Amino acid sequence: MKLFNSLFLSALFLISAAVSAQDETETTKREPGHYNTNRFKQLYEEFSTPNMFRTASGAPGPSYYQQQADYVMDIELDDKNKKITGFETITYSNNSPDVLEYLWVQLDQNKRAKDSKSPLIESSSAAPADMAGSFVQNYMDGGFDGGFNILEVKDAKGNPLKYTINQTMMRVDMPKNLMPGEKFVFSIKWWYNINDHVVDRARSGYETFEDGNRGYVIAQFYPRMAVYNDVEGWQNSQFWGRDEFALPFGNFDVNITVPADHIMDATGELQNRKEIFTKEMMSRYDAAQKSFDKPVVIVTQAEAEATSKNFSTAKRTWKFRAENVRDYAFATSRKYIWDMMAVKMGSGSVMAVSLYPPESNPLWEDWSTRAVATTLKTFSRMTFDYPYSKAISVSAKNQGMEYPMICWNHGRPDKDGTISDRTKFGMISVIIHEVGHNYFPMIVNSDERQWTWMDEGLTTFTQYVTEQDFAEEYPDAVAPNKKYPSRRGPAKNIVDYMAGDQSQLAPIMTKGLNTYNFGANAYAKPATALNILRETIMGRELFDFAFKTYANRWMFKHPTPEDFFRTMEDASAIDLDWYWREWFYTTDYVDIGVKDVKKFYVTSKMNKEVKEMMVARGISENDLPPLVYMVEEGSEDFEESMRTEKLEDVKTLNEYIMDNIPAEERAKLKSPNYFYKVTFEKPGGIPMPIIVQYTYSDGTSEKMTYPAEIWRKNDESVGKVVASEKEITKIEVDPDEETADIDTSNNSWPKRKKLGDFDQFKNKTNPD
Amino acid sequence: MVSATPAHKFYVSITKIEYVKEKNSLQIITKIFTDDIEDALQQRYDTSISLDTKKETEAVDEDLKKYLLQKMIIKVNGKTVRLDYIGKEYDTDMLVAYIEVKDVKELNTLEIENKILMEMFSEQQNIIHLKTPKSRRSLILDKDEPSGKLKFN
Repeated sequence: MKLFNSLFLSALFLISAAVSAQDETETTKREPGHYNTNRFKQLYEEFSTPNMFRTASGAPGPSYYQQQADYVMDIELDDKNKKITGFETITYSNNSPDVLEYLWVQLDQNKRAKDSKSPLIESSSAAPADMAGSFVQNYMDGGFDGGFNILEVKDAKGNPLKYTINQTMMRVDMPKNLMPGEKFVFSIKWWYNINDHVVDRARSGYETFEDGNRGYVIAQFYPRMAVYNDVEGWQNSQFWGRDEFALPFGNFDVNITVPADHIMDATGELQNRKEIFTKEMMSRYDAAQKSFDKPVVIVTQAEAEATSKNFSTAKRTWKFRAENVRDYAFATSRKYIWDMMAVKMGSGSVMAVSLYPPESNPLWEDWSTRAVATTLKTFSRMTFDYPYSKAISVSAKNQGMEYPMICWNHGRPDKDGTISDRTKFGMISVIIHEVGHNYFPMIVNSDERQWTWMDEGLTTFTQYVTEQDFAEEYPDAVAPNKKYPSRRGPAKNIVDYMAGDQSQLAPIMTKGLNTYNFGANAYAKPATALNILRETIMGRELFDFAFKTYANRWMFKHPTPEDFFRTMEDASAIDLDWYWREWFYTTDYVDIGVKDVKKFYVTSKMNKEVKEMMVARGISENDLPPLVYMVEEGSEDFEESMRTEKLEDVKTLNEYIMDNIPAEERAKLKSPNYFYKVTFEKPGGIPMPIIVQYTYSDGTSEKMTYPAEIWRKNDESVGKVVASEKEITKIEVDPDEETADIDTSNNSWPKRKKLGDFDQFKNKTNPD
Repeated sequence: MVSATPAHKFYVSITKIEYVKEKNSLQIITKIFTDDIEDALQQRYDTSISLDTKKETEAVDEDLKKYLLQKMIIKVNGKTVRLDYIGKEYDTDMLVAYIEVKDVKELNTLEIENKILMEMFSEQQNIIHLKTPKSRRSLILDKDEPSGKLKFN
């Protein structure tokens, strides 16, 4: 009986719909067909076909391979002449199934060569004012030459190898092809002039302190192997200065010779600690390894200040070994104070370390090493146990740059010791961010040259999670704030960017170099997209498991964007193709609102629509099953008496209930008296869940979330009938601003005119 | 200029301009990194200037106003208009300044020159978002193109 009823009803309405559709098409031209443009279509066109290297589930496939580059290097830093020289031997292992005819080596310092093409790709015009340094560089040609001087490239037997330098890439021709499974050993001898990183805002170089001492933060300083893999072949896209690096994993044995009174730390484990450390330092170091609650100072401020006064001409060699790292960097100066604390990691512990000059106190002694420790804890919880022995934060002016186990960070007090909140939080945030990069891309080794967002977006997202953890661990540090003042992560902070002019936007899936607004595009938008995914779309439990799965699958490997996208679905059973398409492959934005709300009353009195249908179909009321009618407030059929009509007054319904529902169950039935047809609109492209708060006349409210899939058949508007026992007084979409809705003026019913930021501020300052 | 941008330091300001027709008003909200604008004011006026710290004085508002109004020029329908500096506040690491143009009865064209911080940082970008009752437009201004024009209707 029930089946008959519903079939009958749907047939009645379907046929009438078909009749009216036919009427229209007879007079107009037949519409052409179209491709599938549904926003919920799978990403078959965007994604490459899964293969033996990379599976459809997003994991490394059975034939996955990666190349290896091991380095043995002797480095000497000449503090007096600001020069660095090196001799390196590279053992390159061809683990690919391919025959290699040549090798590509990266010469990043050539970006700083006099004949660098980097300035030539930037448009320019006469500026009204120019920094003196750049004026000299641009127009007076007295410029600094910081490019590599390659002295020799030789094979293992000492025979010279032919090489060709194309800007920041060097092709090394081998005597014979390198077959799968073979190794090739060769050496390079080089030197270059070290640049002042403060003047030219570089990531590597020195800064000069007022006492004449220099602090060196040295990175991408040696010729480095390029990545060869199954997706790019050789990744030999030039280094123009902004986009970062793609590097294979390997083991490093590095001897670094510096002035004898320098304090240094670097990627890898110090091999000659007994030679370098005094007895005092050794006992402090032993204490630091057992100190889990606060840093222990290895070199004190007083000691650093005393050392800074003598400029030793003697030399000392620090010996390091690093295993399974993709890069190498070090920091060295007479000025460094050095502290460390231990952090529990799995069944063992690792060290959180800081190096900073006296100029960084009071500030660094309080927060640097603690921020490193919190970062290791939170990032490890979100991914995997930190696999290296230490993470070092080095104080360097204006910097924020990451390398394996070591990073450079800005933030110093004013000369009079004043520390503003923004200096403190800026410093803690940059430390969390750069230390966090150990996970992405140093260990989960994505290709930074091509996909900036893969390391910056994932790190900025996890940075946000860490900052919130930091505030819980050190409430005094953030007081009087309750939460850490995070700049990136919350959905509403991305609205300005997403609402921007389309001609100035690029999808996240754009090479970093080619974006218009690098910071928003590669950092803030992907971090926010992941935060929304975690908080609003997937929920923390499913997101965190999938995110962790991705990190563990690609730990010490080279993932692509698709490997990330696929894993997040594979580990969660949530179809996210629509989310990746909209947030990562397009510049679309979110704008969802309430278009219209209609109030309905239930009655047993037949309404106009059904009467018309009966006439058209030639049937009488007796042919109809028992029906309940809905009448819109204010329509032709509406009568004032309907307002007070109770459900039990609706005869057809009452009879049906009496006949079909046992007496003991009747009491459990809900008795909605208010019916609303709410139409939601979507002026924005991105289909997002409709998060709605219904507020009732008694002041209570209820939140409902309709999944994004509600938009799958109608991209512009959808209706929902809400049956309620209480009268609804307010309907608000996205009440907690969690979807990055760019226009909230359509989010409420009845329409609410919200005072803008400008008027709010003006009222506050001139309360007239 | 031959230089790498440090990885995580961006030289960007964001200016939101909204035309509120019923008030005949252009409401301007400019967000600038506090440490950058502090550097600029120190170099220009007084090395002891300090923003968003206990050392900040009331006099700094005058310097800020002078600097902003010198660096931002707006033409409405071809004519240079007067900018009223309303005040400023801080949001995390940003300084948020409020500026108003009054008596804008209609908006056919808007030209804006925004050279804030361009003399300090050659890669400074000043992004402008304009909202009118009918449209949203954006401009990205930099040293090479410090001004832009938007036409309506």
